[in-house]
Amino acid sequence: MRRSLVFTAMALLTTPALAYAQTAAAGDARGWIGPYAVIVAGFAMAFAAGLCGLGQGRAVAAAVDAMARQPGAAARIQTAMIIGLALIESLAIYVLVVAMILLFVQPIK
Amino acid sequence: MDVIEHPPIFRLPGIPDHVTYTWVVMIVLTAIAYTASRNVQLVPRGWQNFMEVVLVQIQTLIDDVMGPEGRRYLPLIATLGLFILTANLESLIPGFAGPTANLNTTAACALIVFFSYHYIGIRKQGPIAYLKHFMGPVPLALKPLMFVIEIISHLARPLSLTLRLFGNMVGGHILLAIIFFLMGLHGLIGWALSGSVPGAIVGGLGGIVMIVFTVGFLYPLKLLVSVLQAFIFVMLTMLYISGAIEEAEHGHDSAPGHGSAHH
Repeated sequence: MRRSLVFTAMALLTTPALAYAQTAAAGDARGWIGPYAVIVAGFAMAFAAGLCGLGQGRAVAAAVDAMARQPGAAARIQTAMIIGLALIESLAIYVLVVAMILLFVQPIK
Repeated sequence: MDVIEHPPIFRLPGIPDHVTYTWVVMIVLTAIAYTASRNVQLVPRGWQNFMEVVLVQIQTLIDDVMGPEGRRYLPLIATLGLFILTANLESLIPGFAGPTANLNTTAACALIVFFSYHYIGIRKQGPIAYLKHFMGPVPLALKPLMFVIEIISHLARPLSLTLRLFGNMVGGHILLAIIFFLMGLHGLIGWALSGSVPGAIVGGLGGIVMIVFTVGFLYPLKLLVSVLQAFIFVMLTMLYISGAIEEAEHGHDSAPGHGSAHH
């Protein structure tokens, strides 16, 4: 099971190299980083979104717990929660910006 | 980003789109401010009423976060908030471009915040005292380390302000463009109009689902994100300014020898 997963991952990761070999045979001068950059952008965004969701879920759970215990302080807790969520979310946003740089700008050919 | 998104309808030759649409935001805000303050009455009506509600809300927020001292910075904070909110909402109008979906606009806003809170802190405490508070309440041996860490964390603030607003806006635009245009209009509706029978059934139904999903869910989500990001930008601005002001009292409390000289 695990071995087949490893083989699948290896096959997935060698696909751009094959594509590069084909384009290189066709005389295209583009480098091999472009196809890898697309894969890396997708996987990076997936990991970042998943872990950011975990972190934000913990934060919201704690905030809702606190608001249920102390409804009087709900407004202040909500403000603090929104700021915390923004700070957590900005880490995923950094990854989004890096992914967009990899996809659209492509500084390394 | 022109690969996915359609360029805006109205473009001035030789001028970048975000500058053109920043001018649109400026015109809209100036027109609202002029209409609201042209004929100021004791019992507000119409636009004056609306703007008073908005400004009183911002003032209440400032009072909650920064205390009574923060009212001096209402012009800075309210201007930033109104500009960013209008710019975010402008990007939701079809055929318009959002100024905040460009790194230059958000970096400009973040740099204004960065320089103004340092300026406010230096003016409030004096340069020496302000620099001292970068070292924090730690033992003498740790102060250089603390100083370096604080400098880095302060330099990261404009970066994170910039990238948060920019990333949220551009991410939302790319999501809307992919689901509405690439999947909906080009993909499924295009398949439905291509003439094949399964295309007409699947593509038509899928296209309708996609458009309803976009208009009913993604668009209101983007609306929420626009308001929330403007709120967060303003909120963090207030926290940075109050941090630059408040460190004075905090520092005196933590250094007893220094504090007793004053009393």
